[in-house]
Amino acid sequence: MEILQGIINNYYYMAAIILFVIGMHTMLTHANMIKKVIAMNIMDASVFLLFVAVGYRYGGQAPIIVEGADGVYANPLPGALILTGIVVAVSVTAYALSLIVKIYRFYGTCDYDEICELRSDE
Amino acid sequence: MALSDHFPALIVALLLFSAFLTPPVYRWTPRFSAPLTTFCLSAAFLMAILLTAEVSRSGPLLYHMGGWPPPYGIELKVDPLRSYALLVILGVSLWIFVYALKDLSHELRIYVIGWYYTLFAILVASMAAIALTNDLFNLFVLMEICTIAACGIISIKEDRECLEASFKYLILSAMGTGCYLLGVAMLYMATGYLNFDLLNGALTEAFSLYPRNIFTAAALFIVAFGTKSALFPLHVWLPDAHASAPSPSSAMLSGLVIKVFAIALFLIFYQVFPREILNAVPLTEIVLWLAAAGVMFGSIYAMLQADLKMMLAYSSIGQIGFIFLGLGLDQELAITGGLYHVMVHAITKAMLFMSAGVIIYTTGVRKIKDLAGIGRALPITMLAFTVGSASMIGLPGTGGLISKWYLALGALEAGRPLFVLVILASSLLNAVYYMPIIISAFMHQGEFEYKVRPVPNMMKIPLIIGALAVIITGLLSRPVIVMLQEAVASML
Repeated sequence: MEILQGIINNYYYMAAIILFVIGMHTMLTHANMIKKVIAMNIMDASVFLLFVAVGYRYGGQAPIIVEGADGVYANPLPGALILTGIVVAVSVTAYALSLIVKIYRFYGTCDYDEICELRSDE
Repeated sequence: MALSDHFPALIVALLLFSAFLTPPVYRWTPRFSAPLTTFCLSAAFLMAILLTAEVSRSGPLLYHMGGWPPPYGIELKVDPLRSYALLVILGVSLWIFVYALKDLSHELRIYVIGWYYTLFAILVASMAAIALTNDLFNLFVLMEICTIAACGIISIKEDRECLEASFKYLILSAMGTGCYLLGVAMLYMATGYLNFDLLNGALTEAFSLYPRNIFTAAALFIVAFGTKSALFPLHVWLPDAHASAPSPSSAMLSGLVIKVFAIALFLIFYQVFPREILNAVPLTEIVLWLAAAGVMFGSIYAMLQADLKMMLAYSSIGQIGFIFLGLGLDQELAITGGLYHVMVHAITKAMLFMSAGVIIYTTGVRKIKDLAGIGRALPITMLAFTVGSASMIGLPGTGGLISKWYLALGALEAGRPLFVLVILASSLLNAVYYMPIIISAFMHQGEFEYKVRPVPNMMKIPLIIGALAVIITGLLSRPVIVMLQEAVASML
């Protein structure tokens, strides 16, 4: 029961993990390369969500310090880190897509299984 | 502050600077770009030597990027182990680069060579930074840079095999980094730190409060670094990627890239996780069995290959197993042996891929059965290949013996004689697939059947240096072993 209660209280962590598993599963099982890249992005995004959720405080304000205002702030560090993470994910995606374009020019398909068949025919 | 205080950051910055400068230089005056990169790599190597001397004189060195102290700023750290890794990375990549200068013009189209230098410099910079960084999130960014650059030096050849192999590599690596970042998030959740040293302090307390978070993080790290350094069941991307790439890239990938991640896992296990976590869950035990399986299966798969570079690639899976075997045995001598194997295998496997590159450059032959009689056509290349094979098998007088010796001693010391048998069996299997090549190369009765171009000096000299280095690592191993033993003893 304690675990269940913990999960219900932290449902946003759970959502992030479910997204992560969806992404990983799709990435490893689908033959279509575009889908693999999409899944990679889902996986990355889930980790980013988890990271940002870690930095949030209940009732916290945006971490901009104004004269006279006091109270709880959300942790700004995860946000800053995730900004970097997004840049990294974008560059990996761009590179992966450019590879797919090149592979498509050779085989005329984005499907890994079809490529394997084409190669075995040669 | 004196200039030498900034060496940890300058090594990385200089290499990145050369990376961004080469393409325009190559466009305007192609003949300057190679000397420029060589100069930057040599300067970085020189700085690494000075840093190592400094560290062995006055102890570990911390550098705060931009003057921001942790927990907010990024910290670089140079301790004996990291300076060793730095020396291996920069020394071996400088050596491979000299070889690459000649080989590339044969394997790549002429106008992409400037870009190859860029990717090469970025790859070396990111690997050096992985060895230096003391911050988990910084490590994530550097791992991604390293992956993209590593895929880049494969896919730059732009034939089908290379493109497919690098896509496979990229996707599996992306899975690895995803797992890694999730693990980092778990640790950050539990402690609020990303710095290695601060985490190490905070994890002891956090472990009693949130054990599940920390176990999950540890498991995710094993998967992440296992994928990136081709630990046995996660190795599927390696053979295609390493075999299809241009030979200098193969040497780089097999020699250095996979090992950098092994060292990173090592740093996380021994510098981030406190001892009680390693004792509470059998983390090292898992690594140990995977490594032992990798050692055996890597060698068995290698025996079945018909393509020379494919065989070398599978052999890498077995050899990376030795490095993880040291980590898994969790014993001082074994870890020393595993870490020494990082250097030995970096030199040996890079040299073997270089000899394969020379064979492909001069004759165009890739199949093992076509190599009969090649020893008379290419004597120096095949002699280097022989020395490299001897080191892979672990014959006396080569570096391979030293690392296997220490691994075996460590296994006995830890009370696990079974793994001595694994090491011996793998050496035997290595002999089974390396020896026939050498025997048929030198003892074959008939003439070599293919036309042979002369070997350029720019390719011959690196091979001779490599063969000498393999023998030196075998005969004069004492100083490095002592240094590593001290470094390991201070961490256990």
